[in-house]
Amino acid sequence: MSELVQLGAPHDRPRPPRADELNLRFSEQGIHELEALKTHYPDLKSCILPGLWIAQREYGGFLDGAAIAEVAHRLNRSYAEVEGVATFYTMYNTAHKPGKHKLELCTCLSCHLCGSYRLRDYIKSKLGISHGETTEDGLFTMEEVECLDACDRAPLMQVGDQYYGPLDEAKLDALIDQLRNTEGSTVVKMADEIVQVHLRDVERHK
Amino acid sequence: MAERKLILEHAHDPAYRTLDGYLAKGGYEALKKALKMERQAIIDEVKTSGLRGRGGAGFPTWIKWNGIPKEKSDKLHYVLCNADEGEPGTFKDKQIMEQTPYLLIEGMTIAGLATQGDRGYIYIRGEFIDAARSLRNAIDQAYAKGYLGKNILGSGRDFDLFIHLGAGSYECGEESALMSSLMGERGMPRLKFPHAPLPTISGLWDSPTLINNVETYACAPFIIKNGGEWYSTLGASTKNSRGTKIFSVSGHVNNPGNFEIEFGTSLKELLEMAGGVKGGKLKACVPGGSSVPIINAEAVDRAIIGYEEMADVKSMVGSGGCMFLNEHTCIVTFIWRTALFYANESCGKCTPCREGTRWMLQILDRIRQGKGQQGDIELLEEVCSQIDGRSFCGLGDAAAWPVQGAIRVFREEFEYFIANGRSIVTSEPSLVMAP
Repeated sequence: MSELVQLGAPHDRPRPPRADELNLRFSEQGIHELEALKTHYPDLKSCILPGLWIAQREYGGFLDGAAIAEVAHRLNRSYAEVEGVATFYTMYNTAHKPGKHKLELCTCLSCHLCGSYRLRDYIKSKLGISHGETTEDGLFTMEEVECLDACDRAPLMQVGDQYYGPLDEAKLDALIDQLRNTEGSTVVKMADEIVQVHLRDVERHK
Repeated sequence: MAERKLILEHAHDPAYRTLDGYLAKGGYEALKKALKMERQAIIDEVKTSGLRGRGGAGFPTWIKWNGIPKEKSDKLHYVLCNADEGEPGTFKDKQIMEQTPYLLIEGMTIAGLATQGDRGYIYIRGEFIDAARSLRNAIDQAYAKGYLGKNILGSGRDFDLFIHLGAGSYECGEESALMSSLMGERGMPRLKFPHAPLPTISGLWDSPTLINNVETYACAPFIIKNGGEWYSTLGASTKNSRGTKIFSVSGHVNNPGNFEIEFGTSLKELLEMAGGVKGGKLKACVPGGSSVPIINAEAVDRAIIGYEEMADVKSMVGSGGCMFLNEHTCIVTFIWRTALFYANESCGKCTPCREGTRWMLQILDRIRQGKGQQGDIELLEEVCSQIDGRSFCGLGDAAAWPVQGAIRVFREEFEYFIANGRSIVTSEPSLVMAP
């Protein structure tokens, strides 16, 4: 029988750094934010998810072995535990270093009904990338994702912290042009926004 | 019946997202009233109202509120909001958080008063950054003006509210998995009652935890302000569904969006509110999110929206994610996509769900590719029956029901696809693209 459709990408896990290789890279801001987050929960384990969001920002959008090791070190957890958590969730980039912008196209039910597979094929023809692939210039990664729960705007795509929809080919062209002219990485921006919404205004790093 | 807006009445007014705008529209009157009430009196109002959980299960809300220990031990009491809206077709919680954030905050604060809650957490799915930003802004303003934090409105009561974002997992909408995730674990479900204590006794960090859906909490201010008696007059034409419910209508309709209706409204009226079917005649409807069984156009005509009433058409209210499908939709392909969703989102903890969702997908995938075999329908039914009721949490059941429902209602489409290697739908699919 034919190969099974697959959204989750198979991958090799990075090698965790040895203790003497540990190179802590969190910025002053990241350290400040993690300290503020620790006051939100009764234990350090509960900081793993927000800690990974900080790491995803600090490490340029990709949780490699060093990033996971740093979160584990700062929260006094084991590498295996933090890696286990990180790889469970689809929004942590643990499989591949994503491009500067991640095109997360919803192909779930309502978007499917409204033609999102046509848009998937259009992205393939325009940028040459399918699910899990990145353009050679490192600008765009394409991912088919499950329901983003804004089905009134189907077909819908998430890029960074923004939803775009309803989309058609022309709007997709315009969006991709706009992203080409966007300075920073929307992948990093998304992680930063997620960290910020955890924190009260008085807790933010000024 | 027309729309009956309580929660969404001021949703489109940007001022309502600010504390001053909310107060101007009567906001926080319920909290002020609740501060003068006995704890049990608050719970009794919720009981009288007949409010049932809006996340999908329809469990009587007051039983949860009443289940939190009345005598406080040295443990904190938690008030937890399930804002991990992930059910395909549902987008009501998103709108509540983005446009009426104070209703949720006030509702959780009232729940905290009733259950001696010390801390509240709103667990929002990671993708909902706009919703989280809106709530963050509202919470910061509420703290600044004394509606949250220490000594709320000079009452001597404290309540802290935190936002916690997920990171991409449907399973985290299951309440025990949500708690696992909030506590920094993989989002997998936990052992449940009677094999483990109820979350009201031992939930987050082994402490009493009240967990409700966003929409459920957002109902609380209306119940306290106007009384449970008043609330229970809404939807009185139904057997046991009270109040209003927000339905998210999407798919092949002219005017998709959220519509807040009184229970007892017909599904056909809901379709009319959404501007009717787009691109052809109505073929089918998934009335309550991807987990509920699909129904055909004839059933849409007679379906009345209510927890018990929907059983008459062999479906459910669910979370209110209502998708309408027009005549150009291939049901086999649609159900294949549903099965793909569940196979992707199964957390992998238990065998019936992990393996069963995959097998269902494999069988539907070969049918879809024109390689279906005689006996595949029976095989699908067999796999469904091995998942339904046997999985560790509700995700497995939710994966089996749509497949079972589709085979029951549209069996001839499956038979045709297997026999002919192609879909029974021959009209040009203008809106539905077969992948």
